[in-house]
Amino acid sequence: MDSNTATPEIKSSDNVKNRIVQAYKEYVLLNGTEPPSIFAFCKDLGITEDVFYEHFNHFGQVAASFWSDLFSNVTKEIKSDEAYPDYSVREKLLSFYYAYFEMLKPHRSFALLSFKDSVSLLKRETQHLKEMKKDFKLWATELVNEGMRNGEIAQRPKVTNGYDNILWLQFLFLLNFWRKDESRGFERTDAAVEKSVRFGFDLMEKNALDSAFDFGKFLFQDK
Amino acid sequence: MKEQDRIPTSRLERTGNFLKTGAKVGGNYLKHYSKKLLGTDNTEELQRENAEDIYDALSKLKGSALKVAQMMSMDEGVLPRAYTEKFAQAQYSAPPLSYPLVVKTFKSQLGSSPSELFDSFSKNAVAAASIGQVHRAGKDGKKLAVKVQYPGVASSISSDLKIVRPIVGTMLNISTSEMNHYLQEVEERLMEETDYKLELERSVIISKACETIEGLEFPTYYPEYSAERILTMDWLQGQHLSEFLKSEPSQEIRDKIGQVLWEFYDFQIHELRQVHADPHPGNFLFREDGTIGVIDFGCIKEFRKDFYDHYFQLMIPEVTNNDQAFESLLFELDFLLKADSPEEVAHFKKVYFEVHHLLAQPFFVDEFDFSDTHYFARIYALSEVYQNDKMLRKAKAARGPRDAIYLNRTYFGLYSLLHKLGARIQTKSRVRRVLEH
Repeated sequence: MDSNTATPEIKSSDNVKNRIVQAYKEYVLLNGTEPPSIFAFCKDLGITEDVFYEHFNHFGQVAASFWSDLFSNVTKEIKSDEAYPDYSVREKLLSFYYAYFEMLKPHRSFALLSFKDSVSLLKRETQHLKEMKKDFKLWATELVNEGMRNGEIAQRPKVTNGYDNILWLQFLFLLNFWRKDESRGFERTDAAVEKSVRFGFDLMEKNALDSAFDFGKFLFQDK
Repeated sequence: MKEQDRIPTSRLERTGNFLKTGAKVGGNYLKHYSKKLLGTDNTEELQRENAEDIYDALSKLKGSALKVAQMMSMDEGVLPRAYTEKFAQAQYSAPPLSYPLVVKTFKSQLGSSPSELFDSFSKNAVAAASIGQVHRAGKDGKKLAVKVQYPGVASSISSDLKIVRPIVGTMLNISTSEMNHYLQEVEERLMEETDYKLELERSVIISKACETIEGLEFPTYYPEYSAERILTMDWLQGQHLSEFLKSEPSQEIRDKIGQVLWEFYDFQIHELRQVHADPHPGNFLFREDGTIGVIDFGCIKEFRKDFYDHYFQLMIPEVTNNDQAFESLLFELDFLLKADSPEEVAHFKKVYFEVHHLLAQPFFVDEFDFSDTHYFARIYALSEVYQNDKMLRKAKAARGPRDAIYLNRTYFGLYSLLHKLGARIQTKSRVRRVLEH
């Protein structure tokens, strides 16, 4: 991407895709809105429109690709830590959130602009996160399964199938919290992560609910 | 160690905690007065119940509020005995934060994760400090202790103190001016304590200056693994006081350790004119051979020369026994104020004479037995003297120099340490030599 490098430009499709995302971000950051048309955008970038369509159909997809790229970079980053495989599921989730907000920090302005129309991310899901949501839920399901295998998460028929959704809502809640966080170094977001993950796991691990259910079932069958 | 359920961080939430406590304490008083009406007086019990409720609330707040609690518990004039005992335990009860948050702190402060920096690093905290937690680490065969500070401590100090001010004031029956007098000084020290870089610098200076004192061991500090919120030092061997005492060390060893502590503090106060003002048992590690490791230099109080020169006159019997000299000294130190009426001057002079005479007693003799429970009962009773003294309560102005707060805290902490050790000490002090010089 660095224009100073002497290497001849390799037209790898990843490279072009990246350039489109970068240029789009920059335009939005400087103008506060999307480019007026794909044509104008491509002209500024020095590519033809059909190159754009090889990768995207509309600007919404470009923004969405920023978010899904970020997600995959974050998961790659946390997995690169030697200690990661030994983490409990709770710690894996925590480290995801800390890394996520750390890596999102340099793009805060863009993130705020992306969501400027929605008061709360929880109320109306934004198109921008649609693609990332799929990846996130796959990843979350994996985590939940791991948690059920090692006993961190209680096996509850039917209920556990919905956990990936609950984790997604938690993610949206935290992202929304971070948007509005004005504390130094976003320390309040750190606290929100710590608390909400703890709360989540308190609910998901074996607790009084399970014994109550078990007891109720016993009484019912005993009639 | 179980991780804590949650830290109340918003100001509203913290205020909520205090209000709950206020209500509970109010309830305790109600119980107290109804019992009193029925003819059973139980002030001790009331104070114990209040202490427990206040303590519960403060320990949930952690950080600076906990420090304030400790501070006040150590200032002999402020808290009744029941509070003091309860608060003294405070340091051990703050639960740790999750490992990923520790990793995050490392990355933002030092640019790499603990596993990249060290050969080994304990995922769970091995001990809690009041504003942070301690992890064990290894590097190149060296055992290290790494202190990590809880995020947001520094930024919550002033808002914590703003909450503490009126409510604790009401609960403990201290006037606002007296409260402010204390809290301004406390806030300054607390802010310093949140800067581990500063702590590192001071630790290096003080441990260098004190290296000639026999029986003390200081850890080496590692600036390359330290930052504003991370402090890395050698892992020292030794036990905490309570465990150490369980092993029933001989009187000889107790005396030896006590003497080392005495020397350490006497040297700092009178030679360095700055002191490690937190002689909390958790800051020392005790060994069977009668030596100690000093592991926390978070709180350092430096004494200005004019304060030092005046204040320590109080430890010279020739001065305190001379009525005229004593009175002018009290005026210099703001224990007596120009606005005081002649009756007030006479009365306060009497009170302060008793107080200072009692506190300075170890300095008036060659050897002092700190296991003397009678002596400590009298010290604890001082707070009741203050509280029950109508004239003192009525006088709204705060008395005494601000700088004395941490000095009192230091001596109070040292005395209680020596008391717990049951040590007999040669109490020869440098104070005479320094002042007469």
